[in-house]
This record gives sequence, structure tokens and C-alpha cells, in this order.
Amino acid sequence: MTIGGAATSLGVVSLFVVLVFLPLALVMGQAVVPDLMDGHWPHLSLAGLEHSLGNARSITAISHTVVLSAIGAVSATVLGALYALMLARSNVPFRAVLRATPWLIFLTPGYLKALAWVLLMSPGGYLAQFGLLPEGWDTAFFSLNGLIFVHTLNLFPMACFVIGAAMSGLGSEFEDAARTVGGSARQAWVKINLPLLAPAVVLAFLSIFAEIASDFGLAATIARTSNFGLLTYSIATAIENFPVDFQLAGSQALVLLAMLCSVLLLDKALRRQRRVRLITGRSRRPRIYDLGLWRWPVAGFGLLVSLLSVWLPMAAIIARSGARTLGQGLAASNMTWRYLDQALTLGQPANQALLRSLWFAGLTAITCGVLALLLAWRLDQGGKALRQIVLAMAVGAMAIPGVVMGLGYILLWDRVPGFADTGIYGTWKLLVLGYVSHGLPYALVVVLPAVGQISPNLIDAARLHGAGATTRMFRIIVPLIALSLVTAVLLVFARSVFELPISQLLQPTAGAPAPSVIVRLFGNDNDGLGSALSLLAILATGGLAGLLWLAARAAGRAVWGNGFDSLGGMPRSG
Amino acid sequence: MRTHGMSRRHLLQATVGAASVLAAPHIARAAAAPLVIYDSLDFVGKAAKAFSAKTGIATNVVEQGGTGGVLGKIAAEGDKPQYDMVWLEGSAVMERMAQAGIFGAHADLAARAAYTKVGRSLVPASAMFLPVTASTTGITVNSKKLTPAQYPKSWSDLANPDYAGAIAAKDPNLSGPAFQWLAGFFQAMGEEKGKALLLQVLTNKALSGLPSGGTVNKALLTGNAKLAITQDSATFGKIAAGEPLVSLYPTEGVVATPSSIGISARTTQADSCHQFVSFVLSPEGQAAMLDGDDSDFFFAPIIEGVKAKPGRTTDINFLVLDNAAAAKNETAWKSWYRENFVP
Repeated sequence: MTIGGAATSLGVVSLFVVLVFLPLALVMGQAVVPDLMDGHWPHLSLAGLEHSLGNARSITAISHTVVLSAIGAVSATVLGALYALMLARSNVPFRAVLRATPWLIFLTPGYLKALAWVLLMSPGGYLAQFGLLPEGWDTAFFSLNGLIFVHTLNLFPMACFVIGAAMSGLGSEFEDAARTVGGSARQAWVKINLPLLAPAVVLAFLSIFAEIASDFGLAATIARTSNFGLLTYSIATAIENFPVDFQLAGSQALVLLAMLCSVLLLDKALRRQRRVRLITGRSRRPRIYDLGLWRWPVAGFGLLVSLLSVWLPMAAIIARSGARTLGQGLAASNMTWRYLDQALTLGQPANQALLRSLWFAGLTAITCGVLALLLAWRLDQGGKALRQIVLAMAVGAMAIPGVVMGLGYILLWDRVPGFADTGIYGTWKLLVLGYVSHGLPYALVVVLPAVGQISPNLIDAARLHGAGATTRMFRIIVPLIALSLVTAVLLVFARSVFELPISQLLQPTAGAPAPSVIVRLFGNDNDGLGSALSLLAILATGGLAGLLWLAARAAGRAVWGNGFDSLGGMPRSG
Repeated sequence: MRTHGMSRRHLLQATVGAASVLAAPHIARAAAAPLVIYDSLDFVGKAAKAFSAKTGIATNVVEQGGTGGVLGKIAAEGDKPQYDMVWLEGSAVMERMAQAGIFGAHADLAARAAYTKVGRSLVPASAMFLPVTASTTGITVNSKKLTPAQYPKSWSDLANPDYAGAIAAKDPNLSGPAFQWLAGFFQAMGEEKGKALLLQVLTNKALSGLPSGGTVNKALLTGNAKLAITQDSATFGKIAAGEPLVSLYPTEGVVATPSSIGISARTTQADSCHQFVSFVLSPEGQAAMLDGDDSDFFFAPIIEGVKAKPGRTTDINFLVLDNAAAAKNETAWKSWYRENFVP
């Protein structure tokens, strides 16, 4: 390795150490070093760890979390893969609605969907008021079934994006080659395409597993109402106290991280095939299968997914934002514009919070996009060990509940000399840094596979023609992975607008971001204004994301002509 | 020499003057640093805005969704607090922080306030935190699910089999007012008897350890709960909005839940904090705290001459919590509740 390469690797690792490792170490370390922050000489003790993990409640919460995360990750990955396949390789109708659905899902955070489903499925909820809730469905919903159902609908887009991006890079040349030597379409998929897509499928599974394990929105709503204790809720109760039970929070966060590491190690042990470079710049348009009459049931399935994952929860939020009270239902006399008016009026606290959040999220998304691109490129060129370390830290960071990360940021930036001296604690700068730490892993998960598929021949050819590093980056790499990059930026933007625990714990003293205000409104029983603010946040985020998407597509077409495929974002040469 | 001496003095004066000018922005900035208030109450923003308008002293309100969120942030900041004041509901949690040396004592402020009899009774002997408003936790009934004849009259009535599995409650581990209720309940009933009654009453874990007042009310309005153990200010706020709820006060008594302000022992702006506390304890400050429709605005005033919002019951025979006993038992009682009633 050259000195420059070593320095870059050190920079990459340092970035993750500051953003992820140190904050987590300060929280988790207290599981075994209880007086870590007390200013005394630290001593090692496993007593707290034994006490925290040895009781029946902890064991139940751990087992519930494993079961829910595993089942939810499988179901969301399967649904996401099918959905991506439907969009990328079939002639299904209603494509515009179906294609927009995964994006629209990302515009609504999990905790908002959880609230929407509580409003819909409660015994006296909106569906019951319209006679659309069959006997016993509410009981069935407020259980593990309901949690899997909502998590699957909420997270399948992640699998859809990751697997869809891999599918678009795959093209159809391998498939065509198989068919020219007598293989059937089924054989081509089972023996060639699926193994080639396996890394993306596993990455999607891991990301979703991590997402469910670290979720707090559903843990605090549907899971609580279902008498289904989860680790994140247990951690939150340990943290939201005076004094904080660091040993319990740290121990349980350690368990979450151990779960993820186990899955990562298992994946490494099971999958040892070579990495395959799929993007050669010569890939053909993917083969589109003609489904015949089957296209209608397939479209019906897609539309049902869209209805359940986007439109029904959105309808509940719209209804609640226009209803004066919850108990009077959706009677005309109960309708009001008051909450929407408050959320729309400039200078009102709710409106100020929304504008703040859009600004913070925009800054976060651009920062994460740039960092993810540079990191992905560096990791792709770097050694396997560096890639594994950073990927493990990234997925690990996704598995850590935001509440733990937020607590770690307080400890690091308010109390550790050097970091505390920067004076950024209590300002918007630390909030954005917290968002970046939470958003960067997601951006990396989207960008890394795309960069990994670029054939080195393309870069070598450019270098031989005298293209410098900047030219190679902006004229070759960025256009080749344009869609993945835009996806990453939009994903981080949407997540950051609604990122909850970090918003609460790192709330700038000068003013609260929207998520803190939304959850406070819901918590304090002001659902109407909370729903109105959420609705506007969704619309504003959607509007801005749509504009960015159109701009990216226009730029892609300007560079590559109409051959720029709007699903894959890949330039086509012929 | 004289001239030279004068020159030196002038030079010294000029140097001091220049230093003053250079330092002035910093001094001005330090003096103008906004007061930072950590809270979880709806009306603090309104009170802070009115205070700033009156005095010109800037304030930054850092409001969390619940008491637990504020406590966690304060605990994490440890010996590097970023707040000048903390304003929370529940004297038990404030007492515990006072015992940890987080607040300074301000007996003079308490002495100057025009407290009612109830208000005065809520001032702790240490004067390390000062009550500003009061509410309590009683029983709330959904009038569409129970008829008046079915309403409970006492805590003991909650053991009625008609209510089995249909009573919602907030988790005292996350809510200051909920812990205040638990501690007051044990004070009124006796710890052992109180625990035995709760084990009889809170038989549905899906309802008995809810994280916020909002979730409790949702369970009551559209969920499986028929009645709830909940804060009366939240109930009056919902009643004013038109929800079919009724607030009841059990005959065994209900404990007062004051919202109280504590001034950080490490604040560098003690004078401004004093001005702020004096303001919110004045009729003018209280008027700002009544200017809203959210739950917390429906408090029971404890300052002479201040009237509650229309519809809010104020003739309540409040019990005053033994803060020291509550703070002493806080960890054990919260843990007991979590083990028995939180999934």
C-alpha cells in the first residue's frame, strides 16, 4: 500500500471512529466499565452486564427482537425482490404508480405509519367506523402479525432499491448467453441471475434486519399495545431516566450489535464467491417479460401493496389532520382546517420546525452523498479488510437505536475534553453531524454495490487516455452510478427530515426540528396538529425529492440522450 | 519624566481601553446569551416568549416529548449542564435532582411569590425548586363506554370485574406525573395495600404501561380501554376539544402534581433566571401560560388571583406528596412497576 493509500484508509477509519465508534463505545463501554464517565479510575465489572441480561424480561425482549427482525427481514426482502423484478423485468401496467410507491413509502417514517395503523386498526378506529374491520382483525393485528405486516410494508423498498439497482446492472447479456446454449429462462435465473444477485439480496436482508432491530417507532406503539416487549423500548426506558441506567442501556445495545455481527459473520462464512463486476458499459437493456393476462393480477398485487403501504396510512393521517377530535370520528361536524392552517402559517412554531428540518436534511443528504461516493470508491479500490471493517461499522450503526447514538453524541461532544471544546454541542452543527452518522451507512449501502459493479477496465481505459482522478470521478463514475447516487441522497434526505431520537437528544437550543415537535404533539395528545405537520413534511419532502429526481433525470438525458433508463439510470451504448 | 509618565499612563489607559473594546463583543455576547430552559410542558414556550418581550432577555426553550426525555438529557450532560433552568411536572423527580445537587436554593423567590395555600404547601423546604402550576392524576372515563352509574368512585372501585383488562395507565418510568401518581397512591393507600390493589386492577399489560398521555387517550377513545389513570389537565384539554371524556377524583384522595422550576446550580445567569421565575409566578406570566389549548394549559393555578381555563375543575382536595420518601423509593417503585405492568 502506498503512503497516500494508507493515509486515505486512515482517514476513512477515523471518520467512522468519530461518527460511530466513539459515541457507541461511550455508551456500550459502561456496560462493563460502569464508572467510565465519572472521572474515577475506571474498573472492569461484569456484574452489571450479568444483572442486566440475566433477568427474564431482558431475555424475552432479546428473543422477541430476534424473531421479529428475522421474520420481518425475510418478508420485506422477498417482497422487495418481487417488487423490483416486477418493475424491472415485466410489462406490468400502472407503472407510474407502482414505480412511485417505494419512494412514497420512504417519505413516511415508521413511527408515523405505526400511528396511522393504530388509528386504522383500533377497535374504535377509522376502519371500524366505516364497518371495514372484520371481527377479530384488531386482535390479530395488535400482535406479532401486525408488527411483521407494518415492518414489511415499511421496509420492502430498501430491498427493492438495493436489488433493483443490482438487476439494472445485470442487464440481460448473461441470460441471453445462457439461452443461446439451450438454457431455459428459469434455468438462467436460478443458475446465473440469482447467484449474481445474492450479494444484493443478503445486503438488503442485513439492512432490513438491522432496521427492524433498531426501530423504536413501532416498538413504542404497536408493540406496546400488543404486549410485545422489544429491546429498543427497553433501552429507551433505561435512558429516559435520572440517573440513566447506563449499564442496562449499554448491555442491551451490546446485544443488538452482537446480533448484527453474528449475521454478518454467518454471511461471510456462507458466501465465499468472487465479486462479479456487472457494469461494463456494454450491458444490454434488460429483457422485459411479457406476462400476458397475468399482468393484471400482478398489477393488482402491486396496487394492493401500494394501497396498504402508502395510501391507506396517508388517508388516516389526512383524516386525523382534519378532525377536531378522535372520539367524534369522521363526521362532517368534526372537520376543521385549524391544524393545517397552524402548520402552514409562517412564524408558527410547527412551521418553523418544518423549515428547519428541511434545511438540516438537505445539508445532511448532500454531505452523505459526497462522503458515500468518496468512501465507496476508496473502499472499492482498497483492501478487503478495510471494506469489511467499514461495512461492519456501517451496518452496525444502522442496528444501533438512534437513542443510543444520540446519548453517545451527548457524552462525546459535551463531556469528553477536546470534543467538548469545539462548542458544537447544543447547536445545529452537532444535530447535522448526528444525522450524517445515521444517514451515511444508508447512503453507503446504496452506493457501494453500484460502485462495486463498475468494471475496472473502464477506469483503466480512461487513465490510459490521460484522464485524471477528478475527470474519472465526474465524467465516468458519477454518471455510471447516477441513479444510485440520487437514490442515496433522496433516501438520506427523507430519513433525516423524520429522524426522531437524534432530533430529540441533539435538539439545538435555538429551535426544535420537526420530528421532535411531531412526536411531542402526538405524545401530548395533540394528534391533529401533529398529523398536519407530518402531512406537510411528507408533501414538502416529496416535492423537493421529486424536483431533484427530475433534475437528475434531465441531466442524465442531456448527457446520455434518451438511452438513460429511468429505472436503472444506466447509460446504454446500444 | 512627567511627560513620559503621562504617556505611559495614557498608553496603559489606551491599552486597557483597546482591550475593553476588543473584549466588549465577548462580554456583550456572554451577557446576551439566551437563557436555556429544558422542559416537557406545552406552555413554557408561551411563557418564555412573553418574558423575552417584557424584559428583552432572550430565551431558548428545549422541549422534549416527555419527562423521561428531559431527565435522560440532564443525566447524560452530567457535570457539563447546558441548561440554566429545568421546568418539569412531578415534585418527586425534581426532589431527586435537587438531592443530586443539580439545583441551587432560592428561598427568597419562594417567599416573594403570591402563592395560594395549596401553592405554598407545595414549596419544598429546601426551596431548590419552585412550584408554578398544579394538576393531578385521577380517573378518566370514556362516557361512550360507561354510563354514569358505572363510574368508579374510589381507587378501590377499579378492582370491579366490569373493568377487568380495560384500564389504561402511563408508565411511571417514562412520565414524571405518572410517577408522582404512583408515589402519591402508595402514600394514600399504604405501599403494600397499594401494590396489592394495582396487581388486581392493572391486569392487561397492553394497557398498563403506555409511554405517553397521547397513547393512553388513544386507548381510551378508540382502543380497548374503558377508563384510564391519567392526568386531569390532559382530560380537560380533550373535553374542551369535544372528546367524550369525564374526569373523576377518587375518594381516597389525589396527589398534587406541581410543575416546578429548578435553577441550575451551575448557571452563570442567576439574575436573569430569578427574573424569569418571578415573571412566571406573577399574574402576567400565568396569563401567558393560559393562552393555549393544549393539555398543559389546563392547569390548576396556585398563584393568588389567577383563574383556570373555563371547564377546569379547581376545587380539589390535593394531597401533598412526601417528596423525600418518593425520591428515596423511586428506583424500587419504578422497577416494581416495570416488572409487573410493562411488557
